[in-house]
Amino acid sequence: MVDEPDAKTLLEAMAATLTDQVVPSCAGGAQHAARVIANLCMILAREMGDDGADLEGLRAWMGSDAPNETLIADFDAALATSTDQDAVNRALDVLLADAARRAEIARPGYTDHGPT
Amino acid sequence: MARPDPSATAAGLGELLGHRVEITGAASVGAQRSTLFIEIHNGERPTAAVAQISNSVINAAPVEQEASLLRAAHAAGVPVPRVLAATENLAGADAPAMVVERIDGKTIPRHILRALNDGLDGESLAHACGEAMARIHAIPADAIPAELESMGASAFVERHTELLELLPMPRPAIRYGLRWLTDHRVPDFPLTLVHGDFRNGNIIVDNGLAAVLDWELCQRSDPMQDLAWICTRTWRFGNDHLPVGGFGSFDALRAGYEAAGGVVRLDALHWWMVARAVWWAIGLANQAVAFTSGLTNSIVLAASGRRVPELEYDLLRLIADGPEF
Repeated sequence: MVDEPDAKTLLEAMAATLTDQVVPSCAGGAQHAARVIANLCMILAREMGDDGADLEGLRAWMGSDAPNETLIADFDAALATSTDQDAVNRALDVLLADAARRAEIARPGYTDHGPT
Repeated sequence: MARPDPSATAAGLGELLGHRVEITGAASVGAQRSTLFIEIHNGERPTAAVAQISNSVINAAPVEQEASLLRAAHAAGVPVPRVLAATENLAGADAPAMVVERIDGKTIPRHILRALNDGLDGESLAHACGEAMARIHAIPADAIPAELESMGASAFVERHTELLELLPMPRPAIRYGLRWLTDHRVPDFPLTLVHGDFRNGNIIVDNGLAAVLDWELCQRSDPMQDLAWICTRTWRFGNDHLPVGGFGSFDALRAGYEAAGGVVRLDALHWWMVARAVWWAIGLANQAVAFTSGLTNSIVLAASGRRVPELEYDLLRLIADGPEF
């Protein structure tokens, strides 16, 4: 059984209400908090529509079928200790793809520009 | 941490300053500190001032140290507000506090960026920031508090590797950044006083640079760290095409820095841009940890956890592409 509106729709409505009604009616720290919460609602709504990390590149890099949490922890450890510099260099693409996906959820359009 | 009672804070400030104090407004109530507008009733007309009161649940430098740095910077010709009083424990607030003169102008980054459409010369502002940085970096060692932390490149990597280990979740992107910093370490350079948080948001702007604020992150370090930090994308507030605070070009910053005697080293600048992206990514992750660990109930700090990917993306792009300047 599923109730309506669904969670994503509700989060978007909460964000709109905060932005359009609450933010203009308060000031100072409360206004800032309301803006932050509205932004968080939109981030959570986008997270609900996300398919999750594509870990195929990471699995290929690691040569491992370990569960996701173990895989990421092992990847982190390998980056700290690996003596295979070529492999470490190749990890950059895997990391960039993951960071770009998460940055776009946090702030749509963020990867349109670089930091330089 | 609970917000202090305003009347108790005013009484504490009055005790500190030796005159009655009235709180007239709040400039900002941030995660790290509250900045209050006050009036000191010490004559026929009250003196307008600003009280900065720490809220921090995360490590902060002694406020007396920050006050002595402000005095040294003023003597060196850096535009800063004059210190009126400082204490590590303000009565009524049970927190460190510093009172400085009030300087009129814009401090909110988006207001500064909007002023670009109303005649503010962003290139001149970037030039002035460069000049101020060079003056900070030239402050003599004997004018700097002896206890000020030193953070050269090696110490940075060592310290932040330790901090990364303390995070509850693995952060492979930050790990990669630290490995890159280790593998691409720039030659040692004499450490100078570095502001550490010189950016859009910590300056007062009128027709130009009126004051440099928030000196609590000062350290002895590579001077390129300050130039790197003001160019960090976070502080451009969406004006990504203008690397210096979203208001000016790197060429203008560099020209101001060199006009005041500074020397730009591009390899070190690139290194410190990556380093400060690592620093800020760990900092944001730690703000979220302060929430998840129950140290604070601040939704602002909790939200910081969702900003980490932006810094991870930026640091990886900086490694992949390097800065364009």
